Amino acid sequence: MTTERPGAGDTGASESDETTAPDPASNGTGRGRTRLAAHDLGHGFGNGAVLEDISLAVEPGEILAVVGPSGTGKTTLFRLLAMFERPDEGTVEVGDDDVWALPEARRLAVRRRVGMAFQTRSLFSTTVEENVSYGLRVRRPWSARVREAVEGLFGREEPSETVEDALRTVGMFDKVDRDAGSLSAGEAQRVAIARALAPDPDVLLLDEPTSNLDPRNTAAIESAMRAARDRGIAVALATHDMQQARRVSDRTAVILDGTCIESGPTARVFESPNDDRVRRFVEGKLVY
Amino acid sequence: MFGLGDLNLTYLVSITAVSLYVSTAAVALSAALGLPISLAVGFRDFYGKSVVTSIISTGMGFPSVVVGLVVLLALSRSGPLGTFDLLFTPEAMILSQTILALPVLVSVSLSAVQSVPQDLRDAAFAAGGTSTDVALLVVREARYGIVTALLAAYGRAISEVGSVLIVGGNIVFSDSTSFTRTLTTAITVEARKGNIETGIALGAILLALVLGVNALGARFRDRTPGRNGRGR
Repeated sequence: MTTERPGAGDTGASESDETTAPDPASNGTGRGRTRLAAHDLGHGFGNGAVLEDISLAVEPGEILAVVGPSGTGKTTLFRLLAMFERPDEGTVEVGDDDVWALPEARRLAVRRRVGMAFQTRSLFSTTVEENVSYGLRVRRPWSARVREAVEGLFGREEPSETVEDALRTVGMFDKVDRDAGSLSAGEAQRVAIARALAPDPDVLLLDEPTSNLDPRNTAAIESAMRAARDRGIAVALATHDMQQARRVSDRTAVILDGTCIESGPTARVFESPNDDRVRRFVEGKLVY
Repeated sequence: MFGLGDLNLTYLVSITAVSLYVSTAAVALSAALGLPISLAVGFRDFYGKSVVTSIISTGMGFPSVVVGLVVLLALSRSGPLGTFDLLFTPEAMILSQTILALPVLVSVSLSAVQSVPQDLRDAAFAAGGTSTDVALLVVREARYGIVTALLAAYGRAISEVGSVLIVGGNIVFSDSTSFTRTLTTAITVEARKGNIETGIALGAILLALVLGVNALGARFRDRTPGRNGRGR
């Protein structure tokens, strides 16, 4: 597990790497997993910088909580990590690949090792099963996709084992045939996470996945995060919920004003933070 | 030729066939041209985009007789398309109806494409979709709006009178079969001649066709999943 402090260099490691990452090859999936790292990221949108000099990494088999108040740049950071856009400064690396130095076809292959679920409702207007299988379908050759579409006109097939497994992870397999539009917000978020999990990514990015959800759905999503971690997936969670970060994460990075000001094992960051602003923030005394 | 009362069925059937052929071909052509335009404009931000969308919207109000006149000039012997010898043929009518239907189709489908939330495009991208996959997803999400665009374009085409009268010539052969006479142009002719029964029959067929096409669209909308809103 690694969470870099700004200026920690390009190794992805920081002085606070006390805990040992699980063996990436021992995730039970039969293949090694990959880390995701950001080095010296800076980004802005015209009105000045949103992110400045952020370095962090999430390793296989860990949950990294990226905490900070709303509007501090967590979503922008996660969009950069998911390769939605190129950062103004710094690099994003998946394994040993600097993703923006790769040719487009290779970057697509790398991007497909990273799954993401969003804060907002983002299910497609179709069934739960088709939502979850979307990532699998787009990875198939066009000939297979056309054949499946034609076969789909003549009858419905049973959900694949992969889809079933992803839906069971979030406790939604009983609703596999439901229309996605009929799901509650919490159910929809669980399906969105199943969609991100179905292609068996190496990295799972979750941007405020439980904001405004009830405790039951929140618990189901936290359970899915732990299950993903246990499968060796590197899970990064953006949240402003301090209690959730403490409950589920192995490491925590604190972002204030677009900069990562402290990172390390979650217990240490919450119980004895090095930075005074972090101490006040985790104690709820730093109001934004 | 055979009749049913005072109605000439050969006449009615051939006119209906010409109307269906011309309007369906025009809408198919409009869709082939218009949907890529909608996607291109809807997906990209570029300088002058608002001007382009304004021009497209303005096109919905093109007076059909003006379009007919322009097509007439273009297809006439001395016009730029005169060598194709299309004037007073169904194909000339298809061309003029395409010009009339295209702005309607582009404008309504563009609105549908732009109404697909950015969150869904992001979700498709994050799930590993390429730009083509994201575009297909947007088309799928906008399918109800696109069907509405097709229906609106069909309605504009099949109910059109002025331009098809100018470029088609409203021609009927001596055996009462239509060459370029459509339901709308036939109604004007029959009403002017005082053949009210025939005019009413033609009007009923026209309304039935429009109703049938809209019923097909409604059936498509009702049968597809994902229509139960975005939350409960």
